[in-house]
Amino acid sequence: MESKFTEAYPKTPDATREEECLRVSDMLDLMIDGEASTDEQQYFNKHIEECVSCFENHQKQKLLKGLVSGHLKRVIVPHSLVQSIKARIQETL
Amino acid sequence: MSDQTGKQLSKEEKDARFEAELLPVLDPLYNFAYRLTLDEDDANDLVQETYLKAYRFFDYFEQGTNAKAWLFRILKNSFINEFRKKSKQPAKVDYSEVEGYYNTDDVEGESGVATTTDMRTESVQDLIGDEVASALNALPVDFRTVIILCDLEGFTYEEMAKILDIPIGTVRSRLHRARNSLKEKLEKYAKSMGYNS
Ligand SMILES: [Zn+2]
Repeated sequence: MESKFTEAYPKTPDATREEECLRVSDMLDLMIDGEASTDEQQYFNKHIEECVSCFENHQKQKLLKGLVSGHLKRVIVPHSLVQSIKARIQETL
Repeated sequence: MSDQTGKQLSKEEKDARFEAELLPVLDPLYNFAYRLTLDEDDANDLVQETYLKAYRFFDYFEQGTNAKAWLFRILKNSFINEFRKKSKQPAKVDYSEVEGYYNTDDVEGESGVATTTDMRTESVQDLIGDEVASALNALPVDFRTVIILCDLEGFTYEEMAKILDIPIGTVRSRLHRARNSLKEKLEKYAKSMGYNS
């Protein structure tokens, strides 16, 4: 639907910017997960240098990932588990 | 017994390799099982089941390939096939009992919640950890799974696609929706605590 709009009217700098923001927001996960290609990284970083709202979205997304990776407690493996596994394996032989 | 692969190991070789290559994955595997089942006993059973299968099919595991991803895939399949039906529902978990320590890595970002309160005190760290856990546990299991695999275990999209038997595009969209959902739950919490998020 975006494209119909831009076909009907000549591109304004605003419309281009909007498209860029959309593209950048689609790349947020790729960026925080280290899955973006070099080209994508360059495009992304150049954009967030100039765009406050995309910059902030990027910060928020990083924070969210950090909450899980840095704050979610790991559960402790019960001491007996390794022994149970080994015992069951020997049983099934 | 047929020997299709032609490289059947002796029991000693098999046991040694099993111990060296597969048992070191026990900790992440148990954590994954716990996050799926939200129950210690169920996690225990699921992990045992996984290792039994891994041992049985060890000849199919190619040495030097990703043992962690292989085991996660077996566990995920066991969970779906046998476990999901009989798995007990959440809400009876006492986190303080079972959750012992954190990753001490700092949160990357410095914006948002991080600046609104003193993050250094242990009680605040505890609160955040508990809140992240309950927000995550409230997500549908498919959403919980991709977030655990990606953010806690650091699997790549490609590895996740293999573990979950779905295309990479589906991994991406599921992860995206899962994060939106998690964000929503955490924002509600932040608001209830009087933070502006
Ligand atoms: Zn933008």
